[in-house]
Amino acid sequence: MVDKNIRTVTDVICPFCGTLCDDLEVDIDIREEKVVEVRNGCQIGTKKYFSSNPGEHRYNKPLIKENGSYKEVKWDEAIDKAADILVKAKRPLLYGFSSTECDAQGKGVELAELLGGILDNTASVCHGPSLLAIQDVGAPTSTLGEYKNRADLVIFWGSNPVHAHPRHLGRYSDLIRGYFRKDGASDRFLVVVDPRNTHTAQLADMHIQVNPNEDYELLNAIRATLRGVELDEEEISGVPKKKIIELVNTLKSCKFGVIFFGMGLTQTLSHHRNIDAAICLVRELNDHTKFLLTPMRGHYNVAGANQVFAWQTGYSYSIDFSKGYPRYNPGEFSSVDVLMRKEIDASLIVASDPASNFPAAAVRNMFKYPLISIEPHHTPTSVNADIILPPAIAGIECEGTAYRMDSVPLRLRKVKDPPGDCLTDKEIIERLIEAVKKKKGE
Amino acid sequence: MTEIKLKLKKEPEYPLEAEAISPDQFAGKSAIEIKKLIVYHGNEEKTLGDFFDVSGNGSEISDIKIIIDGNLSNVKRIGEKMTGGEIIINSDVGMHIGNNMSGGKILVNGNADDWAGAMLKGGELEIIGDAGHYVGAAYRGFWKGMQNGLIKVKGKIGDEALSWANGSKPAKRFPTLICGGAGSFLGVHSHGGTIIVEGDCNRCIGADQVRGTIVVKGKITRILPSFKKLGEVKEIELMNGDIIKGKFIEYSGDHSVEKNHSKIDKKTGKISNSSNGRLFVAA
Repeated sequence: MVDKNIRTVTDVICPFCGTLCDDLEVDIDIREEKVVEVRNGCQIGTKKYFSSNPGEHRYNKPLIKENGSYKEVKWDEAIDKAADILVKAKRPLLYGFSSTECDAQGKGVELAELLGGILDNTASVCHGPSLLAIQDVGAPTSTLGEYKNRADLVIFWGSNPVHAHPRHLGRYSDLIRGYFRKDGASDRFLVVVDPRNTHTAQLADMHIQVNPNEDYELLNAIRATLRGVELDEEEISGVPKKKIIELVNTLKSCKFGVIFFGMGLTQTLSHHRNIDAAICLVRELNDHTKFLLTPMRGHYNVAGANQVFAWQTGYSYSIDFSKGYPRYNPGEFSSVDVLMRKEIDASLIVASDPASNFPAAAVRNMFKYPLISIEPHHTPTSVNADIILPPAIAGIECEGTAYRMDSVPLRLRKVKDPPGDCLTDKEIIERLIEAVKKKKGE
Repeated sequence: MTEIKLKLKKEPEYPLEAEAISPDQFAGKSAIEIKKLIVYHGNEEKTLGDFFDVSGNGSEISDIKIIIDGNLSNVKRIGEKMTGGEIIINSDVGMHIGNNMSGGKILVNGNADDWAGAMLKGGELEIIGDAGHYVGAAYRGFWKGMQNGLIKVKGKIGDEALSWANGSKPAKRFPTLICGGAGSFLGVHSHGGTIIVEGDCNRCIGADQVRGTIVVKGKITRILPSFKKLGEVKEIELMNGDIIKGKFIEYSGDHSVEKNHSKIDKKTGKISNSSNGRLFVAA
């Protein structure tokens, strides 16, 4: 029986994590434009679809804060007020962009250039260190399909895909059958390096329990052992020398190996130098066998934000337009650092929730100055904003392009209409650009 | 020497980008012309005269001595790309002091922020207080960092100082850092830097060092596993021929790097320590 009130959309790309699963099926109740069923998705991806349904937690109309409470206003008034704040600012911060589609990100670059502001995306608190390391020593990487078909040694270093990228193991890295790996998981050797006994570690053939914050020393010891150096120490970072030698033999004897690394490597002590060492290890392993590495990107389009920013400005994050041309220096122009130093005087947050992720002192400084939030949901950032501009959720309520964690662009699909007066992120930023141009007399 | 005195009259609200303050920019200009030089404050273009009182006229580059008073902790890029002359700063100073300079001298009578003397190509930078991270380091993505010159920091410095330092004995380029104490990743990816630390250091000293000499007169929190202990020495010959006397334990490394010149001989299994990739720690 086909239910006439249900519209089914197939081959939907899931806009949640960097895995960008492309096989979802979504049922929409056409009477209310509501998601009623999601098939094939993981728990978190499915939840995102249900969260798009109209309700208490979603904004329908632009809001402006007046005397401590929010007032519903027309789009024109909200855009005018927002443009006013941005034009008056001498050092505005534009942050976020990782959970929206590439066109909106491109418009974000245009707005930042127009304002002479600081442009940053969530990579600066996520895989930014990976980008720094790649700029220093390069990156031997590949698309996920190669790993699926060829990899017989898979290493997860400082990442827990069972919880963070639930379908990664099943679609690309471990359980899936590939062209040359006909038996799926039994054809692959899974190594997990993690201080904790995570659920991914419990699936592993070898779990290396490294001491927290000592990954660099372990990578260093592995690299030295690989080059035939006899280590002086018996135990490195909590791992016995014997186990390191065993691991090195495993690395050398595989046919096609891959390291997937996550926040456990990028956001612990040593940050980008961890990735630097991991890349150098992979480079040297290619003297013995085929080896590659890929970052486990979090937000579904953070890779896209890096791509778009890089192709339009030359740099992938932490960009300063104050001199009229883009300059790049994480640590100097990255959002957390400028907020900690109280350098900014207004901020525009797009599709992101820094109040939940930034250090408390940085968030406190952000709230001291006018804050504009383009955000569909109630979040700790948006409920403290002075102006809230409600967008349609990209990938659910509007189309667009997103880049998977291996930088493969995929076309997002629209499955339903947005509630209320919501515009797309791109339309909102375009209107802001128009209003800013008018105010600047251009 | 002709003295040009600058006094900060208004503290900047946002970081002030003042690459205009350098003997190269001041050369041949009168005080009025110097006041008209452009500085960047937030996203606005201002003039040096908006923030500083200026007295004195510029002559030849090598003859200019700039003396700056007032709190400069939010003023960046002083002495950027300078080729000669002298700058004396009588306070703390912001980021990028003396970056890319190739000659002359800068003296900071206070602390310096991050990237002090980044990618130095010559000249001398002296800091009486502490300095931030990335002292004399390479900017993001550069494979050649500090190539020549001398940085002296009396106090402590932060992490990743002298990264990708690039020295050469035949070309007589000896990038040198002398500091009172250091953080982690001192001399990371060094290709021939000379670093002398009077006090203690944190972890990962000399990580990925291909060539270069690091002398630590205090303690190191933890020496990397890829460094091999060679034995005790009584004196050290630096790359530029200088001798340091004292009891030190010599390590060679970093042996995790393929290009390390102090590589292990395949036939004898011995480390052929050819004056490169060395770490000395006080015994």
